[in-house]
Amino acid sequence: MTGGDRRLRLLSRLQGGGDLDTQRLCDVCAEATGATGAGIMLMSGDVPRGSVCTTDAVSTLIEQLQYELGEGPCVDAYQQDRPVAEPDLAQPAIARWLGFTGPVVDAGVRAVFGFPLQVGAVRLGALNLYNDKPGPLTDDQHADALVMADIAAQALLLLQANAPPGTVAAELETNADFQFVVHQASGMVAAQLEVSVGQALIRLRAHAFGNDRTLTDVARDVVDRRLRFDAQSGEKDPAP
Amino acid sequence: MFGRPYDWDWVTVSSSGTELAAADRNGDAMTREAKLARTLVELADTLVDDFDVVELLTRLADRCVEVLDVEAAGIMLAAPDGQLRVMASSSEAMRVLELFEVQAQEGPCLDCHRTGEPVVNQDLATVNGRWPRFAPEALAAGFRSVHALPMRLRGSVIGALNLFRGGPGEMGPADIEVAQAFADVATIAILQHRAALEAHVINDQLAHALNSRVVIEQAKGMVAERLDLDMERSFTVLRNHARSHNLRLVDVAESVIGGTLGASELERASGDR
Repeated sequence: MTGGDRRLRLLSRLQGGGDLDTQRLCDVCAEATGATGAGIMLMSGDVPRGSVCTTDAVSTLIEQLQYELGEGPCVDAYQQDRPVAEPDLAQPAIARWLGFTGPVVDAGVRAVFGFPLQVGAVRLGALNLYNDKPGPLTDDQHADALVMADIAAQALLLLQANAPPGTVAAELETNADFQFVVHQASGMVAAQLEVSVGQALIRLRAHAFGNDRTLTDVARDVVDRRLRFDAQSGEKDPAP
Repeated sequence: MFGRPYDWDWVTVSSSGTELAAADRNGDAMTREAKLARTLVELADTLVDDFDVVELLTRLADRCVEVLDVEAAGIMLAAPDGQLRVMASSSEAMRVLELFEVQAQEGPCLDCHRTGEPVVNQDLATVNGRWPRFAPEALAAGFRSVHALPMRLRGSVIGALNLFRGGPGEMGPADIEVAQAFADVATIAILQHRAALEAHVINDQLAHALNSRVVIEQAKGMVAERLDLDMERSFTVLRNHARSHNLRLVDVAESVIGGTLGASELERASGDR
């Protein structure tokens, strides 16, 4: 099929559900490419900022880990300006993403694909696809993913274009997770330990790593006051 | 692609920059077809960082005069308010005439832009009342027949390409097609460039807005800890302080994070406790 036909077919999948929302965008990315799950990551200045949307808990994990570790298929796709594929994550041909791979394979992921989100020279982030069985995308699926990445990039800009100045568009925030809990926890720990927020974040990361937990989970415990960082005696749980 | 002004001496270069073959400096050795192809490539090859609309259109005008059977060419683009602006002309006489068109609000370019349709083969001596001010001016300047082609992409008419000839004869359909092709390529280049600029701006705004939110969330956490509040109450405290002191929320947050605005001051100011 021609590029135009493919684009029309994918666009028509997106329509018919009322106003465009990011959840629908994500869902269509997964459906159209046949992936088990999909997510869209926002990035700027070479750093993940969070996820715009995900289709399931596993995609959420994939995005959270990339945010936390700064490595993964989306990060590579964004930094290298090209699609990145690992069709056999449990037995990869290239050893990479050492922190990312273990937990996501444990969660059932067997193949991951990252597609950069770009509009001309402007780079926004990346589209993430995963499969629970190993194997590459077919040519058709790959072509669909490229078009969906293009559509998603333009959709993100379009949604942000109408935002009041200085704010993140409400339509972008609705289904997103920009990891605000991590920043809230950084503020809390900074006050608990009387250190800078930067140092607080380092302490949070160290605690997550040392306890084999995600940064997001640790941050959630801090904000929910299940975990305190005490200057004298180190981290402790405040309630029995 | 190469980030520098085009080389208009018809010298062919390889991608590494070495000269492969030189055509006649007058261009006579190149066939018209080769010139047309080269023009289209050069017009399309504009997705570079130093894209300059005026430069692109000036070269388009010069190219039209060189490869088509016309004495002068000019391009007008619509400004955001809808008014046409003279962007490029192949000669001073042409420029004066185009400015006159805009001032008099009358002429082939204006008609073309308004309708989005080509205006072709209008013999100024026989137009019979069309363009009552423009026609005599153009005739006095030595032009006898005029044509204008829309710069248009689907529903969007961004301007028009003016072609003026000294003789009364018609411009052939092949030349009209070529002229329209030139106009189309320039249109696409300009629209893509505009879209790219907009994309940059919006992306920067998003990144900036996210940065502000990060600071605000950090401050929420800090205030929540110091005043023993939940996140929502903490946000209210920050927002109330911003309002009562006529400050931006992000600036208040920066002060909290930076240590210049203490919890006790927020507590005093807060009307929620």
